[in-house]
Amino acid sequence: MTGKPDYLIALFNSVSHVIRAERILNGQGIPHKIVPVPKHISSDCGVCIRFLPEYRDQIIQKLEGKTEIIEIREL
Amino acid sequence: MPEIINAKGLACPQPVILTKKALEASDEVTVLVDNSTALENIKRLASSAGCSIEVAGETEGVFKIHLLKKPGISPETAAPPEYLPCDSNGKPAAGPTVFVIASDTMGRGDDELGRILMKAFIHTAIDLESGPEVMIFYNTGVKLAAEGSGVLDDLKNLEEKGVKVLVCGTCVNFFELTGKVAAGIVSNMYDIAGTMSRAGRIVQP
Repeated sequence: MTGKPDYLIALFNSVSHVIRAERILNGQGIPHKIVPVPKHISSDCGVCIRFLPEYRDQIIQKLEGKTEIIEIREL
Repeated sequence: MPEIINAKGLACPQPVILTKKALEASDEVTVLVDNSTALENIKRLASSAGCSIEVAGETEGVFKIHLLKKPGISPETAAPPEYLPCDSNGKPAAGPTVFVIASDTMGRGDDELGRILMKAFIHTAIDLESGPEVMIFYNTGVKLAAEGSGVLDDLKNLEEKGVKVLVCGTCVNFFELTGKVAAGIVSNMYDIAGTMSRAGRIVQP
């Protein structure tokens, strides 16, 4: 184990989707963080949502039908 | 024959970048620069890369720098150079770099978008090559230093790295955040105005 946790990031098509997702996750109290899309990943939208792997299923479930995640990747 | 780099008229940090590239390919490099910051930074680069340096004095404002790699010195073992900061006059900036966060949004237009952009900006600040030495938060900017802001971990990392974080006390009081500020030092207008007036560079997203 290194000191730094391994994170996942959810990528979206547009910032509007990120804003909507953030609002939902805040409302549900699911820990997450808005971060810039890492340089090595190409994305139309410059920001994404970072979270710990344990929240993956919960996040997918809460966002389903409300905003569209295009991809979940390891950071 | 040494490789010759003509870096006259190029803005900082271009001369250093070109020199660095040339030294990767060649053991002997001559660089022409026309300002003292570029001269100083190339000297620092050369010394860290294990090169001997010879500067043929200033002729009409141009310095000719001759660099020759000394055998047996590996650049990997040398400490990375600390360059002088770039500014428009080619002179090193006098005071600290101060990031002024005057709002919890970045830019004007859509506040919801602005809040997302500001979070991404603060997250990026720690990795900047020429990052902040002091960060000042005022008006709605103080919300970023309060509990639940979403960038507290970034601010704490910045503080651990030695960045001084000042949070406007009047603003904390106005937004009823007293006792909820979780990063930085709650400060006053004397410190805030004083720090801004002594800054070498102010960055305001």
